Amino acid sequence: MTNEIQQVVPHHDDPADPSRRRLLAGLLTAYTASLIPWALAQPAPHADRGAFTALSAILVGRQALDATQTARLYDALVADDAHFPADVQSLLTLINQRQIDPLQLQNVLDTEHSPLAPLPRKIVGAWYLGVVGSGEAARCIDYETALNAVAVADVLKPPTYAYGTYGRWANKPI
Amino acid sequence: MKSMTGRPIPLLALICVLTSLYANAATTTDSANTEQLQRGQYLATAGDCVACHTAPGGKPFAGGLPVPTPIGTIFATNITPSKTAGIGNYTEQQFSDALRRGIRADGKQLYPAMPYTAYAQISDDDVQALYAWFMHGVNPFDTAPTPTRLPFPFNIRLSMAAWNLLFLDSKPFTPDPGQSAEWNRGAYLVRGLAHCSTCHTPRNLLMAEQSSRELAGGDVGTWHAPNITSDADSGIGGWSESDLIAYMKLGHAIGRAQAAGPMAEVVDNSLQHLTATDLQAIATYLKTVPAQHDPADTRAVDTWGAAFDELDSLRGVALPSDPNQMTGAQLYDAYCASCHQDRGQGSFDGGLPSLFHNTATGRTNTNNLVMVILDGISWPADGSGVHMPGFAQTLTDQQVATLGSYLLKHYGNPAAVISADQVKTLRAGGAPSHLVLLARLALIVILLVLVAIIVMLMRRRRRKALPAGP
Amino acid sequence: MSEQLSADIVVIGSGIVGSLAARRLALQGASVLILEAGPRLNRGRVVAAFRNSPIKGNWMGAYPPSPWAPHPIYVPKDNGYLKQAGPYPYPAEYIRAVGGTTWHWAAMAWRLVPNDVRIKTLYGVGVDWPMTYEELDPWYQEAEELIGVAGAPDTGSPRSQPFPMEPVAEPWSMRRFCERLAPAYAVVANTVARNSRSYGGRPACVGNNSCQPICPVNAQYIGENAVAAAEAAGVRLIENAVVYRIEHDAQGRIAAVHYFDPDKGTHRVTGKTFILAANGIESPKLLLLSASDKYPNGLANGSDMVGRHLMDHPSSSITFYADEELWLGRGPQSPSSINTLRDGAFRSQHAPYRLDFTNISQVLSVTQDLIKEGVYGAEFDKQLRWRAAHQVSLKNVLEVLPDPDNRITLSSEKDAMGIPKPEAHYSIGDYTRRGADVSKADFTRIAELMGGTGLRYSADGQFANNQHITGTMSMGNDPKTSVVDGFGRTHDHENLFICSTGVMPTAATMNSTLTAIALALRTAEHILPKPADVHAAALNAEREASLS
Repeated sequence: MTNEIQQVVPHHDDPADPSRRRLLAGLLTAYTASLIPWALAQPAPHADRGAFTALSAILVGRQALDATQTARLYDALVADDAHFPADVQSLLTLINQRQIDPLQLQNVLDTEHSPLAPLPRKIVGAWYLGVVGSGEAARCIDYETALNAVAVADVLKPPTYAYGTYGRWANKPI
Repeated sequence: MKSMTGRPIPLLALICVLTSLYANAATTTDSANTEQLQRGQYLATAGDCVACHTAPGGKPFAGGLPVPTPIGTIFATNITPSKTAGIGNYTEQQFSDALRRGIRADGKQLYPAMPYTAYAQISDDDVQALYAWFMHGVNPFDTAPTPTRLPFPFNIRLSMAAWNLLFLDSKPFTPDPGQSAEWNRGAYLVRGLAHCSTCHTPRNLLMAEQSSRELAGGDVGTWHAPNITSDADSGIGGWSESDLIAYMKLGHAIGRAQAAGPMAEVVDNSLQHLTATDLQAIATYLKTVPAQHDPADTRAVDTWGAAFDELDSLRGVALPSDPNQMTGAQLYDAYCASCHQDRGQGSFDGGLPSLFHNTATGRTNTNNLVMVILDGISWPADGSGVHMPGFAQTLTDQQVATLGSYLLKHYGNPAAVISADQVKTLRAGGAPSHLVLLARLALIVILLVLVAIIVMLMRRRRRKALPAGP
Repeated sequence: MSEQLSADIVVIGSGIVGSLAARRLALQGASVLILEAGPRLNRGRVVAAFRNSPIKGNWMGAYPPSPWAPHPIYVPKDNGYLKQAGPYPYPAEYIRAVGGTTWHWAAMAWRLVPNDVRIKTLYGVGVDWPMTYEELDPWYQEAEELIGVAGAPDTGSPRSQPFPMEPVAEPWSMRRFCERLAPAYAVVANTVARNSRSYGGRPACVGNNSCQPICPVNAQYIGENAVAAAEAAGVRLIENAVVYRIEHDAQGRIAAVHYFDPDKGTHRVTGKTFILAANGIESPKLLLLSASDKYPNGLANGSDMVGRHLMDHPSSSITFYADEELWLGRGPQSPSSINTLRDGAFRSQHAPYRLDFTNISQVLSVTQDLIKEGVYGAEFDKQLRWRAAHQVSLKNVLEVLPDPDNRITLSSEKDAMGIPKPEAHYSIGDYTRRGADVSKADFTRIAELMGGTGLRYSADGQFANNQHITGTMSMGNDPKTSVVDGFGRTHDHENLFICSTGVMPTAATMNSTLTAIALALRTAEHILPKPADVHAAALNAEREASLS
């Protein structure tokens, strides 16, 4: 009897599970939602991932983040530091409550000697450099899809990729 | 010497008049000669004589290039005007016979590796110009190349006479009055000098072109000369004329195809030097060649695939130490993506081509894809050199197969197949042909049948001659 | 039972210098064996390794050292191989693998300027070389045609024959420098071993902008090409062979070398002539290691000069934002220089220098800056694009004078094979520091001419290293003050030659590779002279082959 029930009830973390599904909007206040308005309709399969998505979007100022890339970076960041999900929740809450402007964020954290001070750099480093961890523990997660390559993709190829046939670089860039 | 009026003409005056006449004739002949020589050179370029008649690193037209055929290796001859080693003693008629009827000055037949069946279409005027150029515009070179020695029974050149009877249409090109001058020019070039069908038309068992399937595709050693009929899927039906012209002029048409292997050689030596008018004429004609559809092509061969990457599976993952264990994505990343880019999309302006929407990955015959990975693309004649590096020394058979399969699956026709065995065979120069063996067996069978018939006939005659028994 | 290895000529080290010397000797008919400490590499795998590396600014990340043939690694953590005795750090980088360090170079293939070989006579500093520039000219030419050098004419180094190739196409950014700095400064195309057309069966550059650490398409000549050329000429190469001792006989002639394989099995290789070509640090290390009763100070060291006069090229730099969009990162990494400050009367007072404009993509650098500055939100992308488009950087390449106290010695620490590690004693003298100070004015002026803002000078007294390891086995006519003669033959051992940047007795201001190759070809000719007509025929064959 119990087995039948277990087959019917979906797994706890299944995104299709209606009891766990929530909109990103649920994690945001009006302030943060204003920073990433598209988030109001975004499903967040998991509260922690949702918080990471929201916080990432705020920090990198993007209106769209690739879901797979988000998941891969999140997994790598958690593997690097088990406390990461909790820190992300804390920082998002902080931004929500005090309506901190992204451009002021680091200053605020540094001035207050917040234990969350290293967190924004970790996240932005992951997205823009495609690297998680530091020193000997540093790992490359993305290169071509790292946001710093994406941001200039209309003008430059990432190093090791050919610009074009010989001499094309003599032309004015754009 | 007396004039018509009977009065003697002073000799000196005569000499002056004759000399000035001669001088005038010479200058007129000189400029006419120069014009004819230039025309002859252009026609020789269109005919791409240099490609077969020059060995790699050898003197132009001095022969020696080995042409592998299913019946053995044929060595191209020296067609410089050398009197000892080339065609220096040929009259214009002998030149014309060799070019258009496949008959040497000594009366022997040429093998149709020399595409005289196509050159048969060349007009008398053009033959004259070609002759003039080969005699006066080409430097003589006095070393004879290796002579051709085919295995029995193909060393019997006389058999070519019978073959010609069956397959040689020796009439020069006649314009079709119902078509434009441009079309006719294109037909003349394609069917004649440019001899496209020599490679691009399939051949029958006796190695003659199947005239009903003009330009439907053929094999040239390890390379496949594809279908270039007007079929929208299998051929160039979907191409614009400017696509075709770009391909012939530059060796590539963006979003369609690139010339590689023997075709790169054709563009390098011949097509890129043709006039814009002639290229336009060829394009006009090609668009009208009757469509031949290969049922394997369910869509246009240059419309397969899309941008794709597996970067998520690559980044931060170490390569296996055994090269043969590398995945297609890893091979692509290490060896191809640097030029063809991380999603197969090619460089900004298409100069380094996209791998999707590319006939290189869209055809079901995958030999060319293997060959271009092994050999790359090189244009030695115009000095532009290496256009794409070859990976024959870098990749194993297994790696080429893995990589090729990855390219087909994501950027090309996913139903097409490449195997490591195929790579191995192509690397070795292709599957060996059994034509020589078959021909010898056929001869033995015919001989045995003949012997049997003779024996039967003799027995019957003996029986008739015997008196009736007691 | 191990093979009895022997060859007419045994070469230690398979870098570009050793391999090209080996090739030339093999073409002369000698049997040649190269022993290389490190493994064979595969270009595609290096490309993939770089893309997967977490610290993209660390170019050595694509070249992990082998346990049996370590090379110095500093990032993310110093592997402690090249010991630092100071007073100034000398964090030299090199690669112990088949093909050597030029796997990862920017292909700078400059000649010296004529006065570089006479700075003692002319300016009262340093030492004179035991040869004239004119004597080097034909060897430079041979080297340039062999490897395929593209250069602009009239950049200070006279030549009797043209370059094999036209200069590489100038990136837009460099053209703007050229236009805006004239007439105050002449910006010229660098002389490089990079194809401006297909050459030697290799394609023209397609602008991957990753010359360092790897050219993905083989448009830049590297040691691997030299190895392939050597092997095609009949040279045999044994990789993963760590030479640890050079053995001599009672007369002081070299009899054999001994090497470890990765399992520390020992092997002995005999030969008639030996060439040491294991770079400017590993070569003196080996000479010192081979000390014996007869030669307690190490081999070729009667002068006590082995390892001394270590020189490199220090650099200081400026980074700023130009007032127009230049977008560095399109085309090769190092396309242009100012070449007019390499010589002059001032050389008696301060170091000369070349000014090198980088074309390395600034994207990584500005991203790191923005992260450091704590910029978040939509502003990040905006700033990134603006800075990547505007940021430029140039550096000087300064001459360092030979100082006997700057040296490579043997450390008391040993590597995994039990071989003493090399130790660097280094300092940068006032002559060089004065040059750096003077060049600062050039930096400022150039920034001004480009409408520069956000000027950032590298810290005073702090220099970057360029890995041009020179001086440690200096050449000279006097055995008391030099290790080898003008032909690279060690004074102390008749059959031991050295082919290396390490034989250069002064550093000049030029990247040292081409000079080392030219000297090595000259050494090879000295070991086995080539009949004149054979030489000419070979040169012609090379020229023709280069056209393919």
